[in-house]
Amino acid sequence: MSLLGLTFGAPIVLLGLLALPVIWYLLRLTPPRPRLEIFPPTRILVEITPKEETPAQSPWWLTLLRLAMAAIIILALSEPVWNAPDKRLSGDGPMLVVMDDGWTSGANWNVRRDAALGVVEEAQEADRPVALALSSEGALANINPGNALAALEKLSSIEPKPLPSDYDALGEKLAGNDIFSTLVWFTPDVAPDGLETFTKAAEGLEQVIVFRDETRNPTAITDVANAPDALTVSLTRPLNAAASEGTVQLLDIQGRALGVAPYIFAAGDGVGKAQVELPVELRNDVARVVIPAEQTAGAVHLLDERFRRRIVGLIGGGNADRDQPLLSPLYYIERALAPFAQIRNARSERLPEAAEQLISENVSTLVLADIGTMQPDMRERIAAWVDGGGMLVRFAGPRLAGAEELSTTGGDLVPVMLRGGGRALGGTLSWDTPQPLARFEDTSPFAGLPVPQDVTVSRQVLAEPDAELPSKTWASLEDGTPLVTAAPSGEGWIVLFHVTANASWSNLPLSGSFVDMLRRIVAVSNGVAGSGETQTEASILPPLRVLDGEGRLTAPGAQVRPAAISSSSMPNLTIENPPGLYGTSEAFIALNLFKAGDRLAPLDASALPSGAQTFSLVAEDPLTFKPWLLVAALLLLTLDCFAVLWMAGALRRPQRFASAGMTALIFALLLPLPDAQAHAQAQAQDSEITDYDYALRTHLAYVETGVEELDTLSRKGLEGLTQFISTRTSLEPGPPVAVDIGRDELAFFPLLYWPIDPTSPVPDDEAMARIDAFMKSGGSVLFDTRDQVEGGFGKGVVTPATLKLREILSALDIPPLEPVPDQHVLTRAFYLLNVFAGRYFDGQLWVETSEVEDDLEDRPARAGDGVSSILITANDMAGAWAVEPDGSPSLPVISTNPRQRVFAYRAGVNIVMYTLTGNYKSDQVHVPSLLERLGQ
Amino acid sequence: MALTIGQKEQRAPAGDALARARQRAALVPDLLVEAQRIANTVASGWHGRRRRGAGDTFWQFRPYDQSEGVSRIDWRRSARDDAITVRDQEWEAAHTAWIWADNSASMLYRSGQAEVSKQSRALVIALSLAEVLARSGERVGWPGVTQAVSARNAAERIAAELVVSPADDTAFPPVQMIRPRSELIVVSDFLEPMADLRERMEAVAKAQVRGTLVHIIDPAENTFPFDGRTQFIDPELDTKLTFGRAEGLRDEFRTRFIERQEAIREYCRRLDWNYVLHQTDTSASTALVKVHTLLSGVLA
Repeated sequence: MSLLGLTFGAPIVLLGLLALPVIWYLLRLTPPRPRLEIFPPTRILVEITPKEETPAQSPWWLTLLRLAMAAIIILALSEPVWNAPDKRLSGDGPMLVVMDDGWTSGANWNVRRDAALGVVEEAQEADRPVALALSSEGALANINPGNALAALEKLSSIEPKPLPSDYDALGEKLAGNDIFSTLVWFTPDVAPDGLETFTKAAEGLEQVIVFRDETRNPTAITDVANAPDALTVSLTRPLNAAASEGTVQLLDIQGRALGVAPYIFAAGDGVGKAQVELPVELRNDVARVVIPAEQTAGAVHLLDERFRRRIVGLIGGGNADRDQPLLSPLYYIERALAPFAQIRNARSERLPEAAEQLISENVSTLVLADIGTMQPDMRERIAAWVDGGGMLVRFAGPRLAGAEELSTTGGDLVPVMLRGGGRALGGTLSWDTPQPLARFEDTSPFAGLPVPQDVTVSRQVLAEPDAELPSKTWASLEDGTPLVTAAPSGEGWIVLFHVTANASWSNLPLSGSFVDMLRRIVAVSNGVAGSGETQTEASILPPLRVLDGEGRLTAPGAQVRPAAISSSSMPNLTIENPPGLYGTSEAFIALNLFKAGDRLAPLDASALPSGAQTFSLVAEDPLTFKPWLLVAALLLLTLDCFAVLWMAGALRRPQRFASAGMTALIFALLLPLPDAQAHAQAQAQDSEITDYDYALRTHLAYVETGVEELDTLSRKGLEGLTQFISTRTSLEPGPPVAVDIGRDELAFFPLLYWPIDPTSPVPDDEAMARIDAFMKSGGSVLFDTRDQVEGGFGKGVVTPATLKLREILSALDIPPLEPVPDQHVLTRAFYLLNVFAGRYFDGQLWVETSEVEDDLEDRPARAGDGVSSILITANDMAGAWAVEPDGSPSLPVISTNPRQRVFAYRAGVNIVMYTLTGNYKSDQVHVPSLLERLGQ
Repeated sequence: MALTIGQKEQRAPAGDALARARQRAALVPDLLVEAQRIANTVASGWHGRRRRGAGDTFWQFRPYDQSEGVSRIDWRRSARDDAITVRDQEWEAAHTAWIWADNSASMLYRSGQAEVSKQSRALVIALSLAEVLARSGERVGWPGVTQAVSARNAAERIAAELVVSPADDTAFPPVQMIRPRSELIVVSDFLEPMADLRERMEAVAKAQVRGTLVHIIDPAENTFPFDGRTQFIDPELDTKLTFGRAEGLRDEFRTRFIERQEAIREYCRRLDWNYVLHQTDTSASTALVKVHTLLSGVLA
């Protein structure tokens, strides 16, 4: 049902408007619900004659509001649409729908399909037979008219193809067929091939309807070039289009964006460029270039190995390189090339074999450092390779300078003829001073590089003056003598640096310019254009990933076949070989929709069949009122709610209690927050005693055994010792630290106290490796078996703790041990001691044997500074040191000697001093004899 | 739905009210009902009435009068000198006070501005009066529930009896058991029709009983804070009245409500009764002190 452009989807619902009077009647009868109030003096109210009439009915405006709401809802349900699509088909008889599903259709496929569905539905209503032909089907298209339902189903299932449209076959097929009275053609956005046949065939029909999207302006990527300074993306679009701009995006193999570059087409411009300045290292990762705004296969350009990082092969002369690796020319070249090129070294000593090997590895650039004379077969191999597109970079040197053949034959794998011998500048017998570099010529690949001011050349090989010499010179010295010369040879290049690649002839290899120059040279090289065999013979490569019609990389479908691809000939793009990557995931070749230099032609109105009715693909959007009406009804409902609330007086009564309660609630919610934050901060601060604190202050540390009692005792013991040390010595250690040897950094602690618990498991290998490293880098570990009463350590009695200690030490590299001998530093470090007591008195303290070691290479866990990296006692020292918070000792000492606890503390002080001061104290031991020697 | 201003509360248990009543009672001094009001016929009490009469406590010696019986002579005193002396005792007598608080449905009302319902407040005032009077040795009773007894724990007894006695809805105490020349204290909201109230008051006054009316009102009843469309429900009669704009009634209602108070007050004045107005958002002690003052005759 249609009314002044307004169409109702469900006109029957409009009958509901008849119910409005009933609704009005009901609404008038239903007053708003009053507030119920119990009120004892109602009797007095009864006596009051009401001054105003109690409204038994809703006020008129409320009724009106509600009626409007009801009317709006009824209207909304009737689904009114403004501007619904018109009828477009005329006549009767079979209709042919030609749907273009070429690459341009991907961007507006949904619009296209919806429009096609609309037309076919119209034909269905008119009971006309319909045939649906796709442009990609070509000669295979079935143009026998059938049920419109089948066409609808086919339309719903087809997808755009990443292929150029070809209408030749379709036109021929149409020309041989005269049953159709109507042709509906959904055109591509650019002029397709073979259009004339098709147009001619179409002109004979009764009605031709053309659907086209005139706003579309497809842009395609034709080429991506890896220029030395930037990555250049070539773009094309139909010539007649207005000015446009956009961006291209570079993606890596996983689809992450590496870079974005803008492009601008001036009005009427058909070709454009986008330049991405990207480091070469990143350029190598670019796997595809897309125009994100265009969802077509043409807006995607896939890149493959040919685009990738260059492989550079290095061959050096002479074995001097191996004797002094840091002076080898190859070392400089390797360091300069490594960031942006893949480097292959020669594996063979023999030069021909090395060259053969590198060429077979598909190097794009071959660097020969100071190789003068080459054997003929090697020379031929390299020459053939250069002619095939290789880039040969040679560096001068004594051998090249002395090579006879170069000066005589000339032009043999050198760009210019060279003079024999070299030229020394700034030597004793020369007037010349070392020459700096001249500015790079604009024609040179090095153009634009800054000229290094500090680079001077003191020796070089000289080129014979020649008419072509200036054009072959890429870089020269300030006096005009060429520094870098180059000449094309076949498809490749031969480049010669007239200096060595090491710093002996010039300091160029030490400067950053050397890196830039090599980078430019490698960028110029053409890539692996391939070795001989792949160049000529096409190989059959299976599809790896293919593009779909909307420019996405997808897994190949069943219809995709392996393609015969060689570097020189690409297969035709068909439905069996769509654009995509072919090969294996390690080595693949990219097949793209467009080649460099391809252009897009606009689809002019003149190219369309004459007499065609043209419709825009994007129809003027019909305006659906339903959602707006529902929103309006909702607004009215809200208004109604407020009105009812207002009439009940809820909006006017001061919400004193409520607001006070709310405020209190908010405060209750807010108040704990600062508290909680402060608490959290305090916690964070507690746990943030980090490396920083450990590095600033000496801390005693103990190993956490995981047994809580033992760890507490260790902590208390070290606290007691810390107190004792602070009062008696100038050392004021920080609070003791519990160390998890598997996780914590140990480097900050000079001494680890490690009580042995027979029941704990041995730490894992990684933790033991850390302990080993700790001991070897100067730390000391004090093991305490705490079982002197059961026999102790080193007495031939095997207690459980000793067994456990043995198990732990078996993972460590431990030197021979001995009980602390007389005159050992430990007995002198602070106090003069002869026993190292703990809770038990008579246990020995074992330390590394202090014999002079002679084998530096394979040294055991013997720490520097003569400090024993391991100390073992059985006296339970921590037990004797341990103090409670009130200062009283935690455990009794097992002795009759009342001073034993003091001895234990003194032993602790000596051990700590020993680990901290090392051989300084050891020297102090010798002070008397030193003084005696000095004759004092 | 907005919260209503007033609501119907649970009936306050007499036990709780007693505890609160005792707190209140502890704050006021003993109450001696004004002496001249007391009938001679009443039973003896503990308190001296500051005049001679029957009692145990010495009051005064005075010269013997011929008209008196010889037995009244205090011989021991007379032997000390020539004059014949009579020993007078102080008159110790108890008064009877009937206390009654309204327990009807309208009393259960409490608005948001008050802390307790009217019934709760009335009960507290009644029991605290009973406590104070009993402490002074008066005979205290609750018409319809207990006899007037002279006991130190009279308030407790009344409370215990109230717990078990069924709640009644009468608006005025039953007066059959009230003997002449006693006190009647009625704590109520006096919402029954004015004519009924007058009739009952007159009947009581005719029996030579002096009355004290404590008029309890809720603040919401006084200020009438309603607005908007409101339906008023009478808790006793279940009358429902709907007004479109309740705020329009406010002035009219307040005028009438105050008129009513004034009418009761005026009638009390005519009967020589006491009238105390108490609003439940003030402390119960204020009403107690007022009643105390009036009964002890300080103002009289």
